[in-house]
Amino acid sequence: MHVNAAIIGVGQSAYVRRPQGGQCTQTFMRDAVIAALADAQIAAGEVDGLAVASLSLAPDTAVDLAWKLGLSLRWLLQDTNGGSSAMNMLGHAVRAVESAAASVVLMVGGDATGLGGYARIAANFNTVTQLHLAPLGHGGPNGVYALVTSRQMKKFGLEKSDYGHIAIAQRAWAAGNPFAVYRAPMTMQDYLAAPIVADPLCRYDCVPVVAGAQAIVVAHPDRCPGGRAPVRVRAHRASFNYDNQEGDGLRTGIVTFAHELWQEGDVGPEDIDVASIYDDYPAIVLAQLDDLGLIPDHDLKRFARREIAERRLPINTWGGMLSAGQPGGPAGGLNGIAEAVLQLQHRAGERQVKDARLAVATGYGMTMYRYGGTAAAAILERQE
Amino acid sequence: MKQGVAIWRCAGCRAAFFPQRLLCPRCHGDVFAQERVHEAVVEEVSTIRHMLGQTDWQPRCIASVRIADGPCITVGLTDESAPGTVIELLEEGTAPYGALKK
Repeated sequence: MHVNAAIIGVGQSAYVRRPQGGQCTQTFMRDAVIAALADAQIAAGEVDGLAVASLSLAPDTAVDLAWKLGLSLRWLLQDTNGGSSAMNMLGHAVRAVESAAASVVLMVGGDATGLGGYARIAANFNTVTQLHLAPLGHGGPNGVYALVTSRQMKKFGLEKSDYGHIAIAQRAWAAGNPFAVYRAPMTMQDYLAAPIVADPLCRYDCVPVVAGAQAIVVAHPDRCPGGRAPVRVRAHRASFNYDNQEGDGLRTGIVTFAHELWQEGDVGPEDIDVASIYDDYPAIVLAQLDDLGLIPDHDLKRFARREIAERRLPINTWGGMLSAGQPGGPAGGLNGIAEAVLQLQHRAGERQVKDARLAVATGYGMTMYRYGGTAAAAILERQE
Repeated sequence: MKQGVAIWRCAGCRAAFFPQRLLCPRCHGDVFAQERVHEAVVEEVSTIRHMLGQTDWQPRCIASVRIADGPCITVGLTDESAPGTVIELLEEGTAPYGALKK
């Protein structure tokens, strides 16, 4: 339990499908930083720690961003773990504040690759992808997770419509998020009629690539603006290369630490009010929920048809990346944390979950070959 | 295309790997012998119908296939081999492919 560090503010840039002239990764990050600092009521000069994650910051690095933002620091981190970067940075940030390595840490993630730029990143994600996958025309992560999804359908007896419940429920949540790029209601008919991208994945199973950024401020809970509850991290765990890519990808690294996570948090899956589950693909949402112990009897089919379809458990209440858009994996992970914070601070507007007190948030990423190799999770709590 | 696909077998524990590793994840040995494997069983197939950033994309198939005593690898399929089919493995440069065994 981290008692001397908490999330006290969040902010994001606009999300756009196509960056316009003058817009780039760093301008979106700037906008998110301004929004988060304003939200936390922290002056830029007070920031002495910065954590950055982006797939498109190069050739600049975190210190270049600090320079361009005018931040003089005593703690600096650049995380390269894709969809779990945000959660990874959160762990480092709360430990930095607790240990007094920094007093105010600003976490920021963002990307503005455009579709062509994203395709280049996907084809050059690592050397294994360059050598063994991209020459096949594997379609980037869509192709990889198409195979994972088929495997999951076979193992758990899932039907295509079971994944549709996730996309449709998240779209319904997105209606209450003015930042979401897709907010119009979606029906199962819409979902099943969508063009196939990579069998069995259709358009609505694949995150829309957007340009944008998200930022979060971590500091001592006493710094939280008046009248607002700080959000503390009850427990945090991460996993990297959990199985050497020798499994089937239907478990995530979360399975290696879920027990410890709940034990450290001194709560159980049944206590969770809101869940932000990294949703690069619906199959991975189910895999993470199962690894967290949120799916009774590992019955993925029943869970998709009841808990998700009927929105009994509020999951990805900002619409998730599937509806709100994926501004690169790093900022996408920050979106889930930021949404959990807004819910726990009772600031989520029309999508507010009543009396939300506890949330679980996850990150998942780095498609090394056959599936993602990094995962992280935290239990977040409204501090009264 | 070249016949077979290169895999790497640990000299210490005999476990086979694709892609190549620096140390064996089972015994952490650092000596590997390269072998060629010639067949595998198709487990899952996907047709890639859309590629980000491309407008004249021609659909193509990929598959997850399992080698008899070794790892699952991702190959490009040059035909419509379905799950359960035994395929022969081929290699073009560093890219593994598969086709129905003749």
